Amino acid sequence: MGSVLALSSNPGHQNWPFSKDPLPSRWDAHPAHWDRPPRWERRDGRLPNPGSFHSLHRSCKDVFPHQIEGVKMIINKTLSSFFKVSHTLHLSAVSPSYYRFHVEHLQSDDYSKDKDAPALIGEMDSSGSLNAHALLHLTERVRARTVFQSQQSQFVTWQFETEYRGSDFTAAVTVANPDILRESVILVAHFLQSVSSGLVLGGELVYHRGRAEEGGILTLAGQYSRPNWVATLNAGKGGAHASYYHRANKQIQVGVEFEASTRTQETTTSFGYQMELPEANMVFRGMINSRCIIGGVLEKRLTPLPATLIMGAFVNHRGDKLQVGLGVNVG
Amino acid sequence: MGSVLAASSPSPPPPPSAAGSASPGVTMPPGFGMPPVPPAAPPTGSGAGKEQRAESLLPNPGAFDECHRKCKEVFPMQMEGVRLVVNKGLSNHFQVNHSLLLSTTGDSSYRFGATFVGSKQTGPAEFFPVMVGDMDNSGSLNSQIIHQISSRIRSKVAFQTQQQKFVNWQGDAEFRGEDFTAMVTFGNPDVLAGSGIIITHYLQSITPSLALGGELVYHRRPGEEGSVLSLVGRYTASDFIATLTLGSAGAHASYYHKANEQLQVGVEFEASSRMQDSSASFGYQLDVPKANLQFKGSVDSNWVVGATLEKKLLPLPLSLVLCAFLNHQKNKFQCGFGITIG
Repeated sequence: MGSVLALSSNPGHQNWPFSKDPLPSRWDAHPAHWDRPPRWERRDGRLPNPGSFHSLHRSCKDVFPHQIEGVKMIINKTLSSFFKVSHTLHLSAVSPSYYRFHVEHLQSDDYSKDKDAPALIGEMDSSGSLNAHALLHLTERVRARTVFQSQQSQFVTWQFETEYRGSDFTAAVTVANPDILRESVILVAHFLQSVSSGLVLGGELVYHRGRAEEGGILTLAGQYSRPNWVATLNAGKGGAHASYYHRANKQIQVGVEFEASTRTQETTTSFGYQMELPEANMVFRGMINSRCIIGGVLEKRLTPLPATLIMGAFVNHRGDKLQVGLGVNVG
Repeated sequence: MGSVLAASSPSPPPPPSAAGSASPGVTMPPGFGMPPVPPAAPPTGSGAGKEQRAESLLPNPGAFDECHRKCKEVFPMQMEGVRLVVNKGLSNHFQVNHSLLLSTTGDSSYRFGATFVGSKQTGPAEFFPVMVGDMDNSGSLNSQIIHQISSRIRSKVAFQTQQQKFVNWQGDAEFRGEDFTAMVTFGNPDVLAGSGIIITHYLQSITPSLALGGELVYHRRPGEEGSVLSLVGRYTASDFIATLTLGSAGAHASYYHKANEQLQVGVEFEASSRMQDSSASFGYQLDVPKANLQFKGSVDSNWVVGATLEKKLLPLPLSLVLCAFLNHQKNKFQCGFGITIG
């Protein structure tokens, strides 16, 4: 979760997974196909590229179960090698039900001839909310990304990002929500440098300016990775975020996360694990939180049908609330 | 739970069924299901009295409460939250069940239930006495004792408490003649306060398919007393059952149709003069034994759409239940799933 959302007024992540606000979509995190293979798989003598700043904590976050509530039906359809479409229908008890249409125009393989084809992703809600994403490869090392997000008719996010991938470093500049009329803008600069084969150091500088105020926040980041585990730390004036990911064996992965924010003055520690049983076509993710939230999500592929059944429940012991979710993914 | 609750006011909520279907040969009030008792026997249903001894004789019409039962069983049961039920058979006579319910809307609860089946055998799969008890984590108790006193008379005593207060205590006796059934129920008799409810049922086979009968409810409280009479008619054919109940309390009509081995359909119409409203529902049940699957769906005139999917996960003795109900009029949605072990 980049700091753009931390500065914005969206409090969704703080009350996760029981907030009524729509789940902050992972639009600030680059899609998985953007990143190169994980660093510990590189075998050449040179230092590898460290990837993007947003995916520092990605491997730990993927272990945790996603918030699930109500009944969700997702139908994915691949129309051609470039075009993918997905329909989502969500019936929910706590938030309004919606239908969402999602379309992707991007290359499905990384090694095709037409590497310059842009990736366009768009998503439209039954209430009129739009999510649009455009990814462009300007040159071999320079990538640009544009994100537009609207809540019904009002635009909440419009940001432009440029990223330069050197041989052993990554630099990115993002301009978020530039508003000439209100004279407000958020500028974010990221830099990551591979120091040794396992160690990556970097930082993030956020400058925000409004009509009445302006300020800057500096955050330093470090990541150390070994073949079986990854430890990451972000520390700065805005707070700290530490995560540890461990792959115990082929079936079990474990993640521990610690987040502290000076803005909301609270800290959270979470422990999550992921258990895969490929023979049973099953994946189970469980988590427990320092906010007394316990949750588990089970995903099962229903072979021979191209369908996946998802069942999950989250219990907040402090507030004595339970959330139950069922989902079917087809295609 | 029979017409005792229908006549009394306020009526306490019926106890949720612990699991599964009614044991063969035992009259269970709706909503108070009992887990199947080992040894497993093919369910003959409570219309067991329908065996015809000779073509010229009329069959016994079965219990009065069973008239609308076949149609009601087709409809899905609404559940929400997460439910875990563990059934354990301790011996041929004793069975125990634990049930844990985590609820999204109400309170979570843990229930412990025990079933005891005696050794007096009256039929191919009927054993008496049957004692069923159920205790909640808040102290609410449900209990029933059913016994066959003689070859034709069966009696039942039931108690229900809400935490420490008794809300329901009733006793009844049922007499099964050759072609008729008569039953008398005493509900909540209170000698000190001078209140109580007496219900009499009578059901007579007119032809091998047609059964007519009536129900008379007399309730008395200090200061007021009253009675309600309803008439019942039921027509049974090879693949459908049509039932009609008419009375001063309202009307209830139901139609049950077995289309083929896999599909059963039920249509129900209820009108109540006390609540001044009526509703019609359509439900169907789809059995796919090859996939160990049972699907029930229903549509209501109150704009409620619901479905339940039940699947046995062989080879484990596990059964998974998924349920979702959507009330379009109030825009409310409820979903839940449950696992039954054993």
